[in-house]
Amino acid sequence: MTAPTGSRIVHDWFPQPLPTNVVLGERSWLYSAYAFVHCRSRRPVAVRIGADSGVYHGSFFDLGPDGEVDIGAFTTVVGAIFATDGRIAIGDHVMIAHEVVLADGFAATPDAPALGRPAVASRGEAPVIEIGSNAWIGMRATLLAGARIGRDAIVAAGAVVDFEVPAGAIVAGVPARIVGSCTARP
Amino acid sequence: MEAHEVDAITGRFDHATLPANVKTGRDVWIERRASFARCRSAYRPGCVLGDRVRVHAWTTFNIEPDGSVEVGDDTVLVGATLLCAGRIRIGRGVVVSYGVTIADCDFHPIDPAARRLDAEANAPAADRSRRPPLVPRPVEIGDDAWIGIGAIVLKGVRIGRGARIGAGAVVTGDVADGVTVAGNPARVVAAGEVPR
Repeated sequence: MTAPTGSRIVHDWFPQPLPTNVVLGERSWLYSAYAFVHCRSRRPVAVRIGADSGVYHGSFFDLGPDGEVDIGAFTTVVGAIFATDGRIAIGDHVMIAHEVVLADGFAATPDAPALGRPAVASRGEAPVIEIGSNAWIGMRATLLAGARIGRDAIVAAGAVVDFEVPAGAIVAGVPARIVGSCTARP
Repeated sequence: MEAHEVDAITGRFDHATLPANVKTGRDVWIERRASFARCRSAYRPGCVLGDRVRVHAWTTFNIEPDGSVEVGDDTVLVGATLLCAGRIRIGRGVVVSYGVTIADCDFHPIDPAARRLDAEANAPAADRSRRPPLVPRPVEIGDDAWIGIGAIVLKGVRIGRGARIGAGAVVTGDVADGVTVAGNPARVVAAGEVPR
Protein backbone atom coordinates (compact mmCIF):
# COMPACT_ATOMS: atom_id res chain seq x y z
CA MET A 1 0.00 0.00 0.00
CA THR A 2 2.31 2.78 1.24
CA ALA A 3 0.02 5.77 1.40
CA PRO A 4 1.67 9.13 2.05
CA THR A 5 0.73 10.46 5.47
CA GLY A 6 -2.42 12.54 5.60
CA SER A 7 -3.85 10.88 2.50
CA ARG A 8 -6.67 8.43 1.92
CA ILE A 9 -5.91 4.71 1.86
CA VAL A 10 -6.89 3.43 -1.60
CA HIS A 11 -9.10 0.58 -0.37
CA ASP A 12 -10.60 2.52 2.53
CA TRP A 13 -14.35 2.67 3.20
CA PHE A 14 -13.85 5.23 5.97
CA PRO A 15 -14.25 8.72 4.50
CA GLN A 16 -11.35 10.36 6.31
CA PRO A 17 -7.65 10.64 5.50
CA LEU A 18 -4.94 9.13 7.63
CA PRO A 19 -3.87 11.43 10.46
CA THR A 20 -0.81 13.40 9.42
CA ASN A 21 1.26 11.89 12.24
CA VAL A 22 0.85 8.30 11.06
CA VAL A 23 3.74 6.85 9.06
CA LEU A 24 3.39 3.67 7.00
CA GLY A 25 6.41 1.74 5.76
CA GLU A 26 7.02 0.30 2.32
CA ARG A 27 4.71 -2.60 1.38
CA SER A 28 2.90 -2.33 4.71
CA TRP A 29 -0.87 -2.76 4.86
CA LEU A 30 -3.40 -0.99 7.04
CA TYR A 31 -7.08 -1.94 6.89
CA SER A 32 -8.57 1.53 7.36
CA ALA A 33 -8.06 5.03 8.72
CA TYR A 34 -10.88 4.01 11.06
CA ALA A 35 -8.13 2.55 13.25
CA PHE A 36 -7.37 6.14 14.29
CA VAL A 37 -10.90 7.25 15.14
CA HIS A 38 -9.81 7.55 18.80
CA CYS A 39 -6.26 8.67 18.12
CA ARG A 40 -5.74 12.02 19.88
CA SER A 41 -1.98 11.96 19.94
CA ARG A 42 -0.20 15.27 19.34
CA ARG A 43 3.18 13.61 19.03
CA PRO A 44 5.06 14.38 15.79
CA VAL A 45 4.78 10.67 14.98
CA ALA A 46 1.85 9.04 16.76
CA VAL A 47 2.01 5.69 15.00
CA ARG A 48 4.85 4.33 12.91
CA ILE A 49 4.29 1.06 11.05
CA GLY A 50 7.45 -0.46 9.59
CA ALA A 51 8.01 -1.99 6.15
CA ASP A 52 6.25 -5.25 5.23
CA SER A 53 4.01 -5.11 8.29
CA GLY A 54 0.24 -5.64 8.31
CA VAL A 55 -2.34 -4.09 10.64
CA TYR A 56 -5.69 -5.78 10.09
CA HIS A 57 -9.40 -5.37 10.87
CA GLY A 58 -10.26 -4.70 14.47
CA SER A 59 -7.05 -2.91 15.35
CA PHE A 60 -7.42 0.45 17.05
CA PHE A 61 -4.98 3.09 18.20
CA ASP A 62 -6.72 4.76 21.14
CA LEU A 63 -3.96 7.20 22.00
CA GLY A 64 -3.93 10.14 24.37
CA PRO A 65 -2.19 13.45 23.60
CA ASP A 66 1.18 11.94 24.44
CA GLY A 67 0.55 8.47 23.06
CA GLU A 68 2.97 6.88 20.63
CA VAL A 69 3.14 3.41 19.03
CA ASP A 70 6.17 2.18 17.13
CA ILE A 71 5.78 -1.06 15.14
CA GLY A 72 8.74 -2.72 13.40
CA ALA A 73 9.08 -4.57 10.09
CA PHE A 74 7.46 -7.88 9.09
CA THR A 75 5.14 -7.56 12.06
CA THR A 76 1.55 -8.79 11.87
CA VAL A 77 -1.17 -7.21 14.00
CA VAL A 78 -4.31 -9.24 13.36
CA GLY A 79 -6.47 -7.24 15.74
CA ALA A 80 -5.14 -5.34 18.72
CA ILE A 81 -6.28 -2.34 20.70
CA PHE A 82 -3.48 0.00 21.71
CA ALA A 83 -4.69 2.26 24.54
CA THR A 84 -1.96 4.45 25.92
CA ASP A 85 -0.86 7.94 26.71
CA GLY A 86 2.74 6.74 26.78
CA ARG A 87 4.92 4.87 24.36
CA ILE A 88 4.38 1.31 23.14
CA ALA A 89 7.31 -0.22 21.22
CA ILE A 90 6.96 -3.36 19.11
CA GLY A 91 9.88 -5.02 17.32
CA ASP A 92 10.30 -6.82 13.99
CA HIS A 93 8.76 -10.19 13.05
CA VAL A 94 6.25 -9.91 15.90
CA MET A 95 2.90 -11.69 15.56
CA ILE A 96 -0.08 -10.32 17.48
CA ALA A 97 -3.30 -12.34 17.22
CA HIS A 98 -6.91 -11.15 17.34
CA GLU A 99 -8.58 -9.35 20.24
CA VAL A 100 -5.32 -8.54 21.98
CA VAL A 101 -5.32 -5.47 24.23
CA LEU A 102 -2.25 -3.39 25.09
CA ALA A 103 -3.29 -0.81 27.66
CA ASP A 104 -1.66 1.33 30.32
CA GLY A 105 -4.81 2.50 32.10
CA PHE A 106 -5.45 5.40 29.78
CA ALA A 107 -8.92 5.58 28.26
CA ALA A 108 -9.23 7.56 25.04
CA THR A 109 -12.36 9.50 25.90
CA PRO A 110 -12.75 12.75 23.97
CA ASP A 111 -11.75 14.93 26.94
CA ALA A 112 -9.14 12.58 28.38
CA PRO A 113 -6.40 14.55 30.11
CA ALA A 114 -2.74 13.72 29.75
CA LEU A 115 -1.66 11.61 32.70
CA GLY A 116 0.61 14.27 34.15
CA ARG A 117 3.43 13.30 31.81
CA PRO A 118 6.14 15.72 30.71
CA ALA A 119 5.39 17.91 27.73
CA VAL A 120 5.53 16.29 24.31
CA ALA A 121 8.83 17.74 23.20
CA SER A 122 10.78 16.78 26.30
CA ARG A 123 9.70 13.19 26.72
CA GLY A 124 12.26 10.48 26.12
CA GLU A 125 11.18 7.90 28.63
CA ALA A 126 11.21 4.12 28.22
CA PRO A 127 8.13 2.51 26.66
CA VAL A 128 5.30 1.61 29.03
CA ILE A 129 4.82 -1.61 27.06
CA GLU A 130 7.48 -3.26 24.93
CA ILE A 131 7.45 -6.34 22.69
CA GLY A 132 10.80 -7.69 21.52
CA SER A 133 11.44 -8.91 17.99
CA ASN A 134 10.06 -12.29 16.91
CA ALA A 135 7.72 -12.52 19.90
CA TRP A 136 4.26 -13.99 19.48
CA ILE A 137 1.22 -12.68 21.37
CA GLY A 138 -1.65 -15.18 21.39
CA MET A 139 -5.30 -14.44 20.87
CA ARG A 140 -7.05 -12.30 23.48
CA ALA A 141 -3.95 -11.78 25.58
CA THR A 142 -3.77 -8.56 27.61
CA LEU A 143 -0.54 -6.62 28.05
CA LEU A 144 -0.67 -3.99 30.78
CA ALA A 145 1.77 -1.24 31.74
CA GLY A 146 5.10 -2.77 32.66
CA ALA A 147 4.79 -5.66 30.23
CA ARG A 148 8.15 -6.18 28.54
CA ILE A 149 8.07 -9.21 26.30
CA GLY A 150 11.55 -10.50 25.46
CA ARG A 151 12.78 -11.59 22.04
CA ASP A 152 11.28 -14.83 20.71
CA ALA A 153 8.95 -15.15 23.70
CA ILE A 154 5.38 -16.45 23.49
CA VAL A 155 2.40 -15.05 25.39
CA ALA A 156 -0.30 -17.71 25.32
CA ALA A 157 -3.98 -17.18 24.52
CA GLY A 158 -5.86 -15.14 27.10
CA ALA A 159 -2.82 -14.48 29.30
CA VAL A 160 -2.58 -11.24 31.28
CA VAL A 161 0.96 -9.86 31.57
CA ASP A 162 2.27 -6.79 33.41
CA PHE A 163 5.87 -7.85 34.02
CA GLU A 164 9.09 -8.58 32.21
CA VAL A 165 9.04 -11.84 30.26
CA PRO A 166 12.54 -13.21 29.53
CA ALA A 167 13.63 -13.82 25.95
CA GLY A 168 12.34 -17.12 24.58
CA ALA A 169 10.01 -17.81 27.51
CA ILE A 170 6.43 -19.05 27.19
CA VAL A 171 3.95 -17.45 29.60
CA ALA A 172 0.31 -18.39 30.10
CA GLY A 173 -2.62 -17.93 32.46
CA VAL A 174 -4.24 -15.22 34.58
CA PRO A 175 -2.11 -13.89 36.08
CA ALA A 176 0.49 -15.12 33.62
CA ARG A 177 3.25 -17.42 34.80
CA ILE A 178 6.27 -18.76 32.96
CA VAL A 179 5.27 -22.24 31.82
CA GLY A 180 8.14 -23.10 29.50
CA SER A 181 10.67 -22.03 26.97
CA CYS A 182 10.39 -22.11 23.21
CA THR A 183 14.11 -22.46 22.72
CA ALA A 184 14.79 -25.40 25.06
CA ARG A 185 11.60 -27.41 24.98
CA PRO A 186 11.06 -30.19 27.55
CA MET B 1 -27.00 -37.40 5.36
CA GLU B 2 -28.64 -35.75 2.39
CA ALA B 3 -28.15 -32.10 1.66
CA HIS B 4 -31.20 -29.98 2.46
CA GLU B 5 -32.23 -26.45 1.77
CA VAL B 6 -31.27 -24.13 4.59
CA ASP B 7 -34.49 -23.29 6.40
CA ALA B 8 -34.07 -19.56 6.75
CA ILE B 9 -31.37 -17.03 6.13
CA THR B 10 -32.32 -13.65 7.53
CA GLY B 11 -31.04 -10.21 6.81
CA ARG B 12 -31.17 -8.33 3.54
CA PHE B 13 -27.60 -7.24 4.14
CA ASP B 14 -26.48 -10.80 3.60
CA HIS B 15 -25.15 -10.99 0.06
CA ALA B 16 -22.71 -13.86 0.63
CA THR B 17 -23.08 -17.27 -0.94
CA LEU B 18 -23.03 -20.46 1.04
CA PRO B 19 -20.02 -22.48 -0.21
CA ALA B 20 -21.04 -25.61 -2.15
CA ASN B 21 -19.18 -27.88 0.25
CA VAL B 22 -21.21 -26.83 3.29
CA LYS B 23 -23.70 -29.63 3.85
CA THR B 24 -26.74 -28.89 5.94
CA GLY B 25 -29.34 -31.14 7.59
CA ARG B 26 -33.07 -30.51 7.98
CA ASP B 27 -34.37 -27.24 9.40
CA VAL B 28 -30.95 -25.66 9.78
CA TRP B 29 -31.01 -21.94 10.54
CA ILE B 30 -28.12 -19.77 9.41
CA GLU B 31 -28.42 -16.11 10.24
CA ARG B 32 -25.64 -14.91 7.98
CA ARG B 33 -24.11 -16.76 5.06
CA ALA B 34 -20.97 -14.64 5.49
CA SER B 35 -20.27 -16.82 8.54
CA PHE B 36 -18.80 -19.19 5.94
CA ALA B 37 -16.80 -16.57 4.00
CA ARG B 38 -13.53 -18.09 5.21
CA CYS B 39 -14.54 -21.71 4.74
CA ARG B 40 -11.70 -22.71 2.39
CA SER B 41 -11.87 -26.46 3.00
CA ALA B 42 -10.93 -28.56 -0.02
CA TYR B 43 -13.08 -31.44 1.29
CA ARG B 44 -16.52 -32.24 -0.11
CA PRO B 45 -18.17 -31.73 2.24
CA GLY B 46 -15.78 -29.57 4.21
CA CYS B 47 -18.40 -28.53 6.74
CA VAL B 48 -21.37 -30.62 7.85
CA LEU B 49 -24.20 -29.15 9.94
CA GLY B 50 -26.69 -31.63 11.45
CA ASP B 51 -30.46 -31.25 11.67
CA ARG B 52 -31.82 -28.12 13.37
CA VAL B 53 -28.37 -26.61 13.90
CA ARG B 54 -28.60 -22.87 14.52
CA VAL B 55 -25.75 -20.61 13.44
CA HIS B 56 -26.03 -17.06 14.78
CA ALA B 57 -24.51 -14.01 13.11
CA TRP B 58 -21.39 -13.85 15.30
CA THR B 59 -20.18 -17.31 14.36
CA THR B 60 -17.42 -17.70 11.78
CA PHE B 61 -16.06 -20.85 10.19
CA ASN B 62 -12.38 -20.23 9.35
CA ILE B 63 -11.39 -23.51 7.73
CA GLU B 64 -8.06 -24.07 5.98
CA PRO B 65 -7.91 -26.24 2.82
CA ASP B 66 -6.96 -29.32 4.86
CA GLY B 67 -9.61 -28.71 7.52
CA SER B 68 -13.13 -30.00 8.06
CA VAL B 69 -15.78 -29.24 10.66
CA GLU B 70 -18.72 -31.35 11.75
CA VAL B 71 -21.56 -30.05 13.93
CA GLY B 72 -24.14 -32.44 15.40
CA ASP B 73 -27.93 -32.18 15.46
CA ASP B 74 -29.62 -29.49 17.61
CA THR B 75 -26.38 -27.66 18.38
CA VAL B 76 -26.52 -23.88 18.79
CA LEU B 77 -23.51 -21.83 17.71
CA VAL B 78 -24.09 -18.33 19.07
CA GLY B 79 -20.67 -16.76 18.69
CA ALA B 80 -18.08 -19.37 17.86
CA THR B 81 -14.92 -18.43 16.03
CA LEU B 82 -13.82 -21.78 14.63
CA LEU B 83 -10.18 -21.85 13.49
CA CYS B 84 -9.69 -25.21 11.81
CA ALA B 85 -6.63 -26.59 10.03
CA GLY B 86 -7.44 -30.26 10.60
CA ARG B 87 -10.61 -31.44 12.24
CA ILE B 88 -13.11 -29.98 14.69
CA ARG B 89 -16.05 -32.16 15.66
CA ILE B 90 -18.86 -30.70 17.77
CA GLY B 91 -21.46 -33.15 19.06
CA ARG B 92 -25.24 -32.96 19.35
CA GLY B 93 -27.11 -30.50 21.53
CA VAL B 94 -24.01 -28.44 22.26
CA VAL B 95 -24.37 -24.75 23.12
CA VAL B 96 -21.46 -22.49 22.18
CA SER B 97 -21.88 -18.97 23.59
CA TYR B 98 -20.76 -15.50 22.56
CA GLY B 99 -17.11 -14.79 21.84
CA VAL B 100 -15.89 -18.37 22.02
CA THR B 101 -12.80 -19.41 20.06
CA ILE B 102 -12.17 -23.04 19.15
CA ALA B 103 -8.82 -23.67 17.42
CA ASP B 104 -7.32 -27.01 16.43
CA CYS B 105 -3.90 -25.56 15.61
CA ASP B 106 -1.43 -22.99 16.97
CA PHE B 107 -1.16 -21.64 13.39
CA HIS B 108 2.44 -20.55 14.02
CA PRO B 109 5.57 -22.52 14.99
CA ILE B 110 6.88 -22.49 18.56
CA ASP B 111 10.48 -22.61 17.35
CA PRO B 112 11.76 -19.00 17.08
CA ALA B 113 13.65 -19.49 13.80
CA ALA B 114 10.68 -21.13 12.07
CA ARG B 115 8.41 -18.45 13.53
CA ARG B 116 10.54 -15.74 12.00
CA LEU B 117 10.17 -17.36 8.55
CA ASP B 118 6.43 -17.56 9.17
CA ALA B 119 6.28 -13.85 10.02
CA GLU B 120 8.05 -13.01 6.76
CA ALA B 121 5.81 -15.31 4.69
CA ASN B 122 2.76 -13.62 6.26
CA ALA B 123 3.83 -10.10 5.28
CA PRO B 124 1.32 -8.22 3.09
CA ALA B 125 3.38 -8.60 -0.10
CA ALA B 126 4.90 -12.03 0.67
CA ASP B 127 4.17 -15.49 -0.69
CA ARG B 128 2.05 -17.37 1.87
CA SER B 129 2.74 -20.70 0.26
CA ARG B 130 6.20 -20.42 1.85
CA ARG B 131 4.72 -20.62 5.34
CA PRO B 132 5.94 -23.53 7.48
CA PRO B 133 3.37 -26.38 7.49
CA LEU B 134 0.51 -26.14 9.99
CA VAL B 135 0.45 -28.86 12.65
CA PRO B 136 -3.16 -29.40 13.75
CA ARG B 137 -4.49 -31.67 16.49
CA PRO B 138 -8.21 -32.48 16.33
CA VAL B 139 -10.70 -30.95 18.74
CA GLU B 140 -13.74 -32.92 19.83
CA ILE B 141 -16.65 -31.56 21.84
CA GLY B 142 -19.05 -34.13 23.29
CA ASP B 143 -22.83 -34.15 23.12
CA ASP B 144 -24.72 -31.69 25.35
CA ALA B 145 -21.60 -29.76 26.41
CA TRP B 146 -21.89 -26.04 27.16
CA ILE B 147 -19.14 -23.60 26.25
CA GLY B 148 -19.45 -20.36 28.23
CA ILE B 149 -18.99 -16.78 27.06
CA GLY B 150 -15.52 -15.94 25.82
CA ALA B 151 -13.97 -19.34 26.43
CA ILE B 152 -10.99 -20.48 24.36
CA VAL B 153 -10.66 -24.16 23.45
CA LEU B 154 -7.24 -25.09 22.09
CA LYS B 155 -5.81 -27.83 19.89
CA GLY B 156 -6.04 -31.49 20.80
CA VAL B 157 -8.74 -30.90 23.44
CA ARG B 158 -11.48 -33.47 24.00
CA ILE B 159 -14.43 -32.11 25.92
CA GLY B 160 -16.63 -34.83 27.40
CA ARG B 161 -20.37 -35.29 27.16
CA GLY B 162 -22.35 -32.83 29.21
CA ALA B 163 -19.27 -30.92 30.35
CA ARG B 164 -19.55 -27.23 31.23
CA ILE B 165 -16.86 -24.73 30.28
CA GLY B 166 -17.03 -21.56 32.38
CA ALA B 167 -16.99 -18.07 30.89
CA GLY B 168 -13.50 -16.93 29.92
CA ALA B 169 -11.90 -20.33 30.51
CA VAL B 170 -8.84 -21.28 28.47
CA VAL B 171 -9.07 -25.03 27.92
CA THR B 172 -5.72 -26.62 27.16
CA GLY B 173 -6.40 -30.24 28.16
CA ASP B 174 -9.15 -32.82 28.07
CA VAL B 175 -12.32 -32.27 30.10
CA ALA B 176 -14.06 -35.38 31.43
CA ASP B 177 -17.75 -36.13 30.92
CA GLY B 178 -20.06 -33.99 33.02
CA VAL B 179 -17.47 -31.90 34.87
CA THR B 180 -17.33 -28.11 35.03
CA VAL B 181 -14.05 -26.29 34.38
CA ALA B 182 -13.20 -22.59 34.67
CA GLY B 183 -10.25 -20.22 34.72
CA ASN B 184 -7.07 -19.66 32.75
CA PRO B 185 -5.71 -22.28 32.54
CA ALA B 186 -9.01 -24.11 33.03
CA ARG B 187 -9.28 -26.22 36.19
CA VAL B 188 -12.07 -28.52 37.37
CA VAL B 189 -14.37 -26.56 39.67
CA ALA B 190 -17.24 -29.04 39.96
CA ALA B 191 -17.79 -32.68 39.27
CA GLY B 192 -21.10 -33.43 37.73
CA GLU B 193 -23.38 -36.01 36.34
CA VAL B 194 -23.60 -36.80 32.71
CA PRO B 195 -27.05 -35.81 31.53
CA ARG B 196 -29.05 -38.58 29.96
